Amino acid sequence: MRIPFVIFTFTRQDLIERYSGSILGGLWSLLMPLVNILIFTVIFSKIMGAKLNLANLESSPYNYSLYLISAMLAWNCFAATVTRTTSLYHEKAGIITKVNIGLRALPLYIVLSESIIYAISFSFFLIFTIAIDHPPGWSLLALPVVFLLQQIIAYSLGLLFATLAVFIRDVRELTGIIFHLWFWFTPIVYVAEILPDGWGSLLAWNPALYFVNAYRQIILSNQLPDLQFLAIAALVALLLAKLALTVNRRLQSDIRDFI
Amino acid sequence: MINVTQLSKHFKLYKQPSDRLKELLFRQTRHSRHCVLNNLSFTVADGEALAILGRNGAGKSTLLKILTGVLLPDSGSIELSGKLTGLLELGTGFDPNLTGLQNIRTNGLLVGMTPEEIEQRRETIIDFSELGRYIHEPIRTYSSGMVMRLAFSIAIHADPDIFLIDEALSVGDGHFQQKCMRKIRQFRAQGGSIVFVSHDLNAVKMLCDRAIVLDKGNVIANEEPEAAVNIYNQLLGADNEEPEPERQATGYGNRDVTIEAANLTGKDSAHNIVSSGEMASLSVTIQGQRSLSELTLGMMIRDRFGQDIFGTNSHHLGHQISIKNQQRKQLTFNLPMQLAPGKYTITLALHEGADHTRQCYHWWDNATSFEVAGIRGAQFGGICNLRPTLEEAPL
Repeated sequence: MRIPFVIFTFTRQDLIERYSGSILGGLWSLLMPLVNILIFTVIFSKIMGAKLNLANLESSPYNYSLYLISAMLAWNCFAATVTRTTSLYHEKAGIITKVNIGLRALPLYIVLSESIIYAISFSFFLIFTIAIDHPPGWSLLALPVVFLLQQIIAYSLGLLFATLAVFIRDVRELTGIIFHLWFWFTPIVYVAEILPDGWGSLLAWNPALYFVNAYRQIILSNQLPDLQFLAIAALVALLLAKLALTVNRRLQSDIRDFI
Repeated sequence: MINVTQLSKHFKLYKQPSDRLKELLFRQTRHSRHCVLNNLSFTVADGEALAILGRNGAGKSTLLKILTGVLLPDSGSIELSGKLTGLLELGTGFDPNLTGLQNIRTNGLLVGMTPEEIEQRRETIIDFSELGRYIHEPIRTYSSGMVMRLAFSIAIHADPDIFLIDEALSVGDGHFQQKCMRKIRQFRAQGGSIVFVSHDLNAVKMLCDRAIVLDKGNVIANEEPEAAVNIYNQLLGADNEEPEPERQATGYGNRDVTIEAANLTGKDSAHNIVSSGEMASLSVTIQGQRSLSELTLGMMIRDRFGQDIFGTNSHHLGHQISIKNQQRKQLTFNLPMQLAPGKYTITLALHEGADHTRQCYHWWDNATSFEVAGIRGAQFGGICNLRPTLEEAPL
């Protein structure tokens, strides 16, 4: 079996064919995240808009939208990749138990599919930034690097959780809750400064914070993310990937027995 | 070619799956081992078809899954000469909401075709499946037979070197089944190897060159199909001896003399599953309830539709039977079993004279049953073998 073709086909099924027969078709893949963003923009820009004073950003009614969407799109992609990968073995058990398909290759279709959704959503966002006359600058070229690191981490976490979920069913439910909490513990819809004293230092332990900041630096302030962050992120991504792959390889015979 | 050497597989049984993780973390054993395959070795040559027989839980499915690569063995090695496709993957990855055509692509990839191959063979697959315009409809609108036809068409056109078939030949109607059989024979003639798991013993005898019998993870026989089927039947028989309830003699008649028991066994199979062309004996135990100087025992073989196939009686055979009160006798018909494969029942009767119209002592419908599986010698069609010869003369 040629794995790239299989991954490609699953991705296509995931994005388009799932909705075949509906009028909007593949657009449904994008609709939910976009509605989500719209709701946050409409509701929170009224409350938060005035308070948003970021350095290097001239005052504009759209500031909050830029602030929110730059982080939210990436977060949605990250969270969806991890949570969907976590329940992958369970969902695709019918295929895994019948066809010899790589346990570590299979999750790649989710990574690909969610990345494509991100890319398309981001294109809409770019059009929006141009429309409001605040297009990102050359620093945008650094965005794929940050995104790649994010998705390597997402794949590794997802694979790790998926492996655990075979043995402990609760992991699937738990992942959903963790990501919900994590979302609100990360300054995506709010500004870190509104947190009460003491929380700020706690926030420093949240790795997602550094990614969110990197995206905002690139999109809002036209700055490159700092090299120290990139170096640490790359190291973490590689170590996590190594760990997830090793654990999965070590347990693959058991995974196949248990599914 | 398949070469399996010293293959072993244990399943570890845990009370709950999370015990496996505790085991790793605390380095203590928390499972009991269940041996599924024990040091298995066999080979299947190119162009050879091997059947795997065994009771439920004998390890057949596990073996197929290991051959496919879906499960990993504990020890031992498997060498495969080429691409392996399993019919146990029939319909894997079918999405009910997509059309047949769209499903051909996904399923084709999963059974090992490249996109170009799928493109080339699409028309052939659709033709073979006989789905016609339904190929453009979502699969959820298909009947189960149509789904299986599509799945089989894709699998057989994947052009593998080795084919695993797991009880999958019950596809569609008779016409389509024959088409599948032809295709499988053709595949074999071109040098493909087949591993076939089935409880359809006739199919095993007709299709395979050799059969292995698995019992509790061990190969207990590796023989030509007929011998292996007999060993398998004895294995099944040993299983059933206890629970099989004593067949109660039923029926009607004045019961001056009664049929107590009846069974048919093959001379070689020692079982009620016999090959076409094998000698079989039908033994009938009768008991007199009063003394009779002259009586007749008759038998009639019926097929599964209740149609009379063959019948005779002791009167026609010129055999005189008499019986005393409370005397028991065993009578045996020796029958060269020249019937076509299938399932049959035997009806027995005790009466006076040439037929039962004058005085009927005991008539027992479906007193026993048997199955004909596989054909010895020349193949034939229809319900019985007339054992023809063929001559040719120049004119």
